[in-house]
Amino acid sequence: MSVSRAAPVYWARHLNKLRWASLSLVFAMLVLLPFLHVYQSYVAAHAYDLLQPGEKWLYDSMETLTSPFVSDPARQLDSVKGTTWSGTLFGLKLSDPLAVLGQVAAGLRIHWPFVVTALIPILVTAALGRVFCGWICPASFIYELNETLSGWLRKSGLTLGERQFDRRGKYLVLAAGFVLSVFSGSILYAAIYPPALVGRELYYVVAQAGFGSGAVFFLGTLLFDILVARRGFCRYLCAGGALYSLLGRYRAVRIQRDVATCNDCQKCDVVCEFGLTPMADGFGQECNNCTACIAVCPEDALRLRIAVHDIPFQGPGHQGHTWRHQQQAGQQEPPV
Amino acid sequence: MDRRSFIQMLVAVAAAPAVADATAPPSGLRYLRPPGALAENDFLARCIRCGQCGEACPNRCISYFGLENGSASLDTPYIIPREQACILCMKCGVACPTGALERITREAEPILARVKMGMARVDTSLCLSFQGKTCGVCYRACPLPDVAIRVGRLEQPHVLEGCVGCGLCERSCIQIPQAIRIFPNRDGVA
Repeated sequence: MSVSRAAPVYWARHLNKLRWASLSLVFAMLVLLPFLHVYQSYVAAHAYDLLQPGEKWLYDSMETLTSPFVSDPARQLDSVKGTTWSGTLFGLKLSDPLAVLGQVAAGLRIHWPFVVTALIPILVTAALGRVFCGWICPASFIYELNETLSGWLRKSGLTLGERQFDRRGKYLVLAAGFVLSVFSGSILYAAIYPPALVGRELYYVVAQAGFGSGAVFFLGTLLFDILVARRGFCRYLCAGGALYSLLGRYRAVRIQRDVATCNDCQKCDVVCEFGLTPMADGFGQECNNCTACIAVCPEDALRLRIAVHDIPFQGPGHQGHTWRHQQQAGQQEPPV
Repeated sequence: MDRRSFIQMLVAVAAAPAVADATAPPSGLRYLRPPGALAENDFLARCIRCGQCGEACPNRCISYFGLENGSASLDTPYIIPREQACILCMKCGVACPTGALERITREAEPILARVKMGMARVDTSLCLSFQGKTCGVCYRACPLPDVAIRVGRLEQPHVLEGCVGCGLCERSCIQIPQAIRIFPNRDGVA
């Protein structure tokens, strides 16, 4: 046993760090892009001398930041724009599949040029599962920090929300949003989908008049997560999460438990933000391959594998007490 | 909370905007949609509220509605020309991923043929030129002079059929309140 411990660390254990780097990068870009837009508008106006001191500071700092890469900011900085809801990445237009679904519902017709922009996200989700939720979503970034905060509050002695609801609630939100979009002729998901809200509100607060109504809604979801249910909005109410779950149901890459090395320590069950049970092989379409469970597993018993289905429950881990007692009990049983 | 009441709560929360729409009075706001916008109902069904038109606008004339114009236009783009008018750069139509704003080439013919944000109208009781004080600022501000607006005696402005409703005249009018205003067109691109 001790020999296997000396083996090199399983590479997938590092993915959780990479995931945090990705979440932080996306969020930092969402903060930066509105500043770049304001900077572009100053450049286009050719009026540096007329700017206020604060505006000059913004101009100078953005110029310092971008001048190594960009010679014509008014035009070249257009290559990265928008949010995760819909954006342009080096000339490539990408959109959230939920935006496409919402548009189909509101207009009851398919506008193909827009559908095409969601093609890459749909294919990635079909292959890798709902990685958007764990790796990209700017709201997840805040929700996970929020969960850490409520962890500290719990440690300081406060009793916070621990309610559990039916996970299928979010499919209801997805369906209700579709039906109401059909009737109202307006894309309602845009008002209740946290990543869209976060991107938009960051833009509003930097480049427009300030936070809009979406910020209030988002604050409500943060309170919901703290006071009612842990990670409650993502687990039970997020329409986009529901859509990504459905798209990623038959994902090709999934986390599986190696029962021979699992020692039933339950760290994976505790760390899972979505309240799943990796120790009981409980992943399903809810798992967003965030790999947090892989990172905490002391035995490297959780593995990333190419598979289209989960393994059904394999029983207790072979390095744990339960399995050992079962084995001993089985040996002591008198032969019939 | 049991599952049934939880689900009822969900439906109630989700239905609230639609109910609010049915009961909300039409707002009297005089706003323009960005150039290339579809007719109002099609626009609301197409626009995904991504904010990219505003992020593309070098003149920062595009703002976004809160709830002041009813919940159906929440987070949709608008232009109040007196605050900041459209310079017809047509970058918003390129940025729009959804087709809610159509792509229009930045040349005189396509703009004249398809952009119809509204139509300027002169209030002769306010206009300085009509009061005998020669002004002509609106004519000088117009990106389509003699096509959208012409001036007569004492620089008195007369709006022509070619007006696309960009609002630069209204923005530049030196009279307070402004003597020339854009009256929005909600029927979308031509």
